[in-house]
Amino acid sequence: MAKPSETGMEALHHLKSTDPPALLAPSPTLSQTARTASQHLFSCLKPYAPKSPFDQLLTDGFDAEQIWQQIDLLSQPLLSTLRRQVKHLEKHPEESKIVLKKENEFLDGERKILEEKETKRFDDDVDDDDMDMDMDEFDDEEEEEEGGRRESEKGESEDESGEMVEGKGGEGIEDKFLKIKELEEYLEEDEAREYGLDRKKKKGELKLEEEEEEEEEEEDEEEEDDDDDELDDEYEDAEENARYEDFFGAKKKTVPKRKSSLSNGSDEDSGLNDDGAVEKKGGLSTHEKQLEKLQSEIEQMEKANLEPKTWTMRGEVTAASRPKNSALEVDLDFEHNVRPAPVITEEITASIEDMIKQRIIEGRFDDIQKVSSLPSTAPKEVKQLDENKSKKGLAEVYEEEYIQKTNPAAAPISFSDEQKKEASILFKKLCLKLDALSHFHFAPKPVIEDMSIQANVPALAMEEIAPTAVSDAAMLAPEEVFSGKGDIKEEAEVTQAERKRRRAKKKRKFKAEAVKRMTKKARDNTALLNHNEGNHLSVPNGGLFS
Amino acid sequence: MMQTGEAPASMEVEAIPNGLGIQSGSLPLKPKFEPLKAHEMSDGRVQFRNVSVPPHRYSPLKKAWMEIYTPIYEQMKVDIRMNLKGRKVELKTRSDTPDVSNLQKCADFVHAFMLGFDVVDAIALLRLDELFVESFEIKDVKTLRGEHLSRAIGRLSGKGGKTKFAIENATKTRIVIADTKIHILGSFQNIKIGRDSLCSLILGSPAGKVYSKLRQVAARLAETF
Repeated sequence: MAKPSETGMEALHHLKSTDPPALLAPSPTLSQTARTASQHLFSCLKPYAPKSPFDQLLTDGFDAEQIWQQIDLLSQPLLSTLRRQVKHLEKHPEESKIVLKKENEFLDGERKILEEKETKRFDDDVDDDDMDMDMDEFDDEEEEEEGGRRESEKGESEDESGEMVEGKGGEGIEDKFLKIKELEEYLEEDEAREYGLDRKKKKGELKLEEEEEEEEEEEDEEEEDDDDDELDDEYEDAEENARYEDFFGAKKKTVPKRKSSLSNGSDEDSGLNDDGAVEKKGGLSTHEKQLEKLQSEIEQMEKANLEPKTWTMRGEVTAASRPKNSALEVDLDFEHNVRPAPVITEEITASIEDMIKQRIIEGRFDDIQKVSSLPSTAPKEVKQLDENKSKKGLAEVYEEEYIQKTNPAAAPISFSDEQKKEASILFKKLCLKLDALSHFHFAPKPVIEDMSIQANVPALAMEEIAPTAVSDAAMLAPEEVFSGKGDIKEEAEVTQAERKRRRAKKKRKFKAEAVKRMTKKARDNTALLNHNEGNHLSVPNGGLFS
Repeated sequence: MMQTGEAPASMEVEAIPNGLGIQSGSLPLKPKFEPLKAHEMSDGRVQFRNVSVPPHRYSPLKKAWMEIYTPIYEQMKVDIRMNLKGRKVELKTRSDTPDVSNLQKCADFVHAFMLGFDVVDAIALLRLDELFVESFEIKDVKTLRGEHLSRAIGRLSGKGGKTKFAIENATKTRIVIADTKIHILGSFQNIKIGRDSLCSLILGSPAGKVYSKLRQVAARLAETF
């Protein structure tokens, strides 16, 4: 009331500058400045808060409680969104930097205004962050923190100092990596995008991106975020009912071209995004994302198939067709056809030497035994070339040959057989003599049956060269000489009947001979007759002899 | 001397009943003839063979006459006589010569003797049908003159005739080397082997080589029983 024309910023500055002890004592001027400051803040926050019922903070005539209620209405949904954004930023801290950098290009003018807003917001965020670390105890914590916040902010609304304190406290967290102002800017934009507001067109690209990223983040942490969403739903006011399309983009909207340049910059989320491909404004479902993944893989494989294969996959590769020293890198496997040479160790040599010694002691050398080859066939008779004039005539030679052909048994003994016979006889004689000498018992001479004709010649004539005496003894014994049979009787001994018998026999014999002679003569005569022509000689009948 | 008035040996002609043969229209029956005797050949005339006697075989013929005469006259039934004036041996068929070839065999036999073969060897001609005499000269094989010729002849005979005897014994032939003429008596195959050996000797191969070949051949011949 003291300064109605005072602007909100000035009011804030004024509040800032007052001493803290001065705030303890109630003063109307301070309260007025506080109200204007809070109004200003409210109006600043208004654009970010979706579906806030108040366009302006009504402070006239309202007591602290009512003012506080208005602020609460505004800030509750804000808080939830901020929480989400902070979580997202936690996961992707680089984005904040990039986003904030980009923002700097556009937002130099509004920086100052925003700074203060962000400080305020960040206070809330800081509180939230401190208390939101555990997802499981989300509900309780939220209630607690809200309760805490209310209490603290009650204090603040009365004194309007809590905010300052917290604002100052918030500054302590900042460091070179974490720029709170950048973070808050980013969060604002993302939030606006998420709730489908097109308020901040200048940051259009960023918004969309962040919104999408947030969407993806939401989907990744679906399970985790379910609680968040539910809680958010619970705690949202009736005006700010989140719809399906807020979280899951219902329609696939075309992306402005500026998006693509930024999307390349954000590599972290490219795992889920298609590389330079269509990115929907509304976000992708899990299934669609999987499909996209598959598609990308398929494309990769097709591309690989079209290209020529690597040299390891080809068949026979010569050195010229593969890169230099490439065979060294590859672990080649090939068969060794040769047995690896045995490593000679002392044990082996010792074992061999032991074996040798043992063999020598035993005398068991593996000498080659000569295989005596028995002649399978009888040795051929080598015909000797006779260089002497053959004693046989040619006819006899052929005769022998013919006999041998027709009747082998009757063939005369060949020369070799005769020699064999002679040799065997000589050997037998020799053996006989040696046996007689060596054996103790007597063995008589073997009888060789031999046929020979003996002439009846005086024996002495044959045996003696010079006969000293002449002997009548003949070679043959009397019985050998005698050629008769039957009983021999002398003349005196013969009886009458015998005599008669003998005479009759004699006569008969004589007669037979005579007849024979006669017939022979007759035959000769007839032959003569036939032979001599015209010579007819009559054979005298009866003949000369009767 | 020609035999006149002798009716030719039985020429039997089957009596053809006139009516039957002509009427039936069949061919007349073949007449049956017995084989001609040597005596009746050439229209019943006697056949002769003459074998001239070279001068160097004159006295050996005289010595061996009976050995020649006996088998010819007795077994072959061929008349043989010596024409002293013409220095020829004449052979003639008899009436009872059984076979036509006897005369030729006897002629061959006598001829072989004239060439220089022994009677005992030449007798084989009478006994075996398939024996032949082959003659050739050294100049047929290779033209040799002077000392080469003498050396060739010496090579053929060998020392004391041992090479010649070796060939004879191995191949069952008889060989006569008369100066530059060579006669071989034996069966066809044996003549061939003997001839090959002699030719190789003429051409200059040493006796040892010929012996080894002969040994192989003889062994092969002996195996073929």
